[in-house]
Amino acid sequence: MKIKSANATIPEIDMTPMIDIVFQLITFFMVINNFDQNEADERVSLPRDQLAKPPAVQRKDAFVMNFGFERNKDGSQASPEPYLFFGDERLTLEQVRPRLRQESQFYSAIGTKLEDVTVEIRADAQIQSGMVQELIQMCQEQGIEFQRFALKATQKSVP
Amino acid sequence: MKLRNRVTSGKIAPDMTPMIDVVFQLLIFFMCTLKVIEPEGDFDISMPLGAPSASTVTDAELPPFKVRMEADGAGDLRALYFNGSNLGAGEQAFARLNSEVFRAITALQAIGKEQQEKQEVEIDPDYSLHYRYIINAIGACSGRLGTNGVPVRYISRIKFAPRREP
Repeated sequence: MKIKSANATIPEIDMTPMIDIVFQLITFFMVINNFDQNEADERVSLPRDQLAKPPAVQRKDAFVMNFGFERNKDGSQASPEPYLFFGDERLTLEQVRPRLRQESQFYSAIGTKLEDVTVEIRADAQIQSGMVQELIQMCQEQGIEFQRFALKATQKSVP
Repeated sequence: MKLRNRVTSGKIAPDMTPMIDVVFQLLIFFMCTLKVIEPEGDFDISMPLGAPSASTVTDAELPPFKVRMEADGAGDLRALYFNGSNLGAGEQAFARLNSEVFRAITALQAIGKEQQEKQEVEIDPDYSLHYRYIINAIGACSGRLGTNGVPVRYISRIKFAPRREP
């Protein structure tokens, strides 16, 4: 009688279901990953409102400004003074004027009219409202002259 | 001589290992870069340059609804006024503001639908008032959520009054 050796038949594992699930997972993570809001800074805790619905059509020319506080790991404020965050750069309200002028010149250089550019202000809920007004005033100064402003808020769920 | 059956024995199983490696790399990348961000909306706002003068108001342009917001020492809302009448403080004040604005625009609609679109709200906060109250006031003036979750718009033209000194 012929006896089969132990390694004569290697059982093949069917990989198809696993690959299916992995592709499903990849698709899921790709879809829920929000690439649009890269300019949103985590240090800014936005105020909430029921009517703050995301716009149906994304603005073409928007200049986002994050205005918030440095925060500790637990989310508490690290300093009482608010800053404007541009990526890793951090500016106080007094220091921001040259940056605004630079942005305004950039839009003029690429041929975009300043009345078509919306300045989106992502200000922290705890910021003094006079400072937000001051920031808007700065944006309207001669040599900067932004004209359209939008205040950002997160959508509050309805109870 | 025994001949092998070419059709059945020539089946080559494709090596899936590299593909699975890459797919797992992709999966880990997307999992790590995942940032859960709440949906954000915005409100358009304008801020007139300089102080408003009463002489610019004509019969055709009705004066703006005035929302005055006073702050206490801690930056919280002490009192909310709509066209001079005190609506109190806290969450209830914004609900009252919402119904006052609704009442005012209903009166405007009697004059004409265009008047409602032209009507402005001027928000005049104390310097130290926390910004979240501004958003609450803007939300209350903008409209309300309908029963089916669709917003009912009241006023879309909202502006800041000239800044008060700290």
